[in-house]
Amino acid sequence: MAQVSIVGGGNVGANAAFFIAEKGVTDVLLVDIQPGLSRGKMLDIMEAAPIRRYRNTLSGTDSLDDIKGSQLVVIAAGAIRTPGMRREDLYTVNSGLIRALAPQVARLAPDSTVVVATEPVDGLTALFTRESGMPRSRVLGLGGILDSTRLRALIARELDVSTETVSAMVVGRHSDDMICLPRYCSVSGVPLPHLLSAERIAAIVEETRTAGDLVVEMAKRSSSYYAPSAAVAELADSIHMNLNRIFPLSIMLEGEYGARDAALSLPVVIGQSGAVRILTPELSEQERGVFLESARKITAALNGDPETGKVARRVAGGAA
Amino acid sequence: MKVSVIGAGNVGAKAVYYIAEKNIADIVMVDVAEGLARSKALDFLHAAPLRGYAVHIRGTTDFAEIEGSDVVVMTAGIARKPGMDRMDLLKTNVGIARQAAREIARRAPNAVVIVVTNPLDVIAAVMLQETGFALRKVVGMAGVLDSTRFRYFIAERLGVWPGDVQAMVLGGHGDDMVPLTSYTSVGGIPISQLLDPASIESLVKRTRTGGAEIVSLLKTGSAFYAPGASVAKMVEAVIKDEKRLFPASAFLRGEYGFKDIYLGVPVLMGRNGVERIVELPLSESERSALEASAEAVRKGIAEIAQLTGGN
Repeated sequence: MAQVSIVGGGNVGANAAFFIAEKGVTDVLLVDIQPGLSRGKMLDIMEAAPIRRYRNTLSGTDSLDDIKGSQLVVIAAGAIRTPGMRREDLYTVNSGLIRALAPQVARLAPDSTVVVATEPVDGLTALFTRESGMPRSRVLGLGGILDSTRLRALIARELDVSTETVSAMVVGRHSDDMICLPRYCSVSGVPLPHLLSAERIAAIVEETRTAGDLVVEMAKRSSSYYAPSAAVAELADSIHMNLNRIFPLSIMLEGEYGARDAALSLPVVIGQSGAVRILTPELSEQERGVFLESARKITAALNGDPETGKVARRVAGGAA
Repeated sequence: MKVSVIGAGNVGAKAVYYIAEKNIADIVMVDVAEGLARSKALDFLHAAPLRGYAVHIRGTTDFAEIEGSDVVVMTAGIARKPGMDRMDLLKTNVGIARQAAREIARRAPNAVVIVVTNPLDVIAAVMLQETGFALRKVVGMAGVLDSTRFRYFIAERLGVWPGDVQAMVLGGHGDDMVPLTSYTSVGGIPISQLLDPASIESLVKRTRTGGAEIVSLLKTGSAFYAPGASVAKMVEAVIKDEKRLFPASAFLRGEYGFKDIYLGVPVLMGRNGVERIVELPLSESERSALEASAEAVRKGIAEIAQLTGGN
């Protein structure tokens, strides 16, 4: 069986392992530097197997070397938000971790597709791509897929329709300046503006924008992890079964809408070799402006003011 | 929950298969042919240990067993054979539908009825009249099938997962179908941004003749996997009260400017059948295609009145 490796045995990592285990089609390895943690969590998931009927190999380790040969590597390690924090506040601390991990993942699993779930996802996807030297089609960030999943859930709730029939499109930065595209949201093909008033759409878009913050505020000691880990499992499926499913994901830009040297979410077709195709739906002038401004912010963080760079390297050194 | 499927032919049996796999309701198959429904039910049950069915499946010739059904699927009817007069076919199938309708009204008065027997929009009208059920309780399956074919052809052309393609169609089944390309999208992106008009038109054409393409390959018989799956999806929407937006044949009372006929329109399916009919703005050409579709249905209804002398 092909192997999915998840680096980071926290809530996102462990629940992603659980969701992927339930699908029953790939082996799952959970890696965490804290000895015993990931082995304990995977043992727990394994012991539910007789009831839940999966039979894939589920294991935990504290050694990154074990990710060797993985088809998919999920980066779910790093610090998470606490109430009042913005995602970008985590860049300094988590960029060190990514700088340390990227070359090692590229060496151990050179043919893998990497999904970055660590926040801030766009900055770190760009950083991972750059530091690993892997092609951009192989490094994807868990950004727009979360925002669009939340938007789908909110549209379905508002209209009282089945969530499965709702598709939604959110592109750009996984942050306050995410770009929700209601005209590319639909219910069984019927565009949202035909079904909901502009006021209600605006309210739902606003709720989507702050949905992640709300979870952090309510949970206090954790950020959201069910939706992110479910998203990881769907990606694992599309890669393993070569489904060519479409997800808004953060990916290094090479001229899309005129942006480069940054990663932002766009609808991407995901198959066995990672991103098979990047779709570029028509954007309005205003949306394009937000997109380019977001890209500039990512580029700035990536190139780093010297101060940010120094702190990042110090943390990376400590982790190694 | 209980679902009854009338007619154990290929479409009926395949619908039962897909419903059984969902494990959401007990299933009764009824067919007048001695042993047919029973044999198929038994065959399904033999697979139960492998497939883990937790629901009961029965086959019978006795309509009494549909008692208390939450959903009844009407697939019974004869297929047109070479040399058979179209009016004879219509007469036979209307007769079968009337008999089934009386049984349904008596034994499953609270059921939602999903009509599959062709000519669909006409048989649905017969079923509604004969059961005396509320309008929302009798609905026809065609648009789900047409749209799933359209979705598949688009996905195949673009090399994407079929589940990411959304499409809406209106009007009658097959040739009379009115595809709404402005309500068709891939991952939310309108199809017009991904394919040129000529390619879209060729996919529409293939969809219109999708049923005929399969008939010509099979030589004897017609499609039943996609029709069976379409039925199961509608049944599931009712059983689970999903409020799923489907193209389906519903009785119109002025929606889209039509009155007192069954026609394919977007409906919200839930526990009560047609929970709501959704009206969408149409282009000039879509509207005239829909008119033509409605005219064909009116003609069918007039033929029935003629056949039975208004009886």
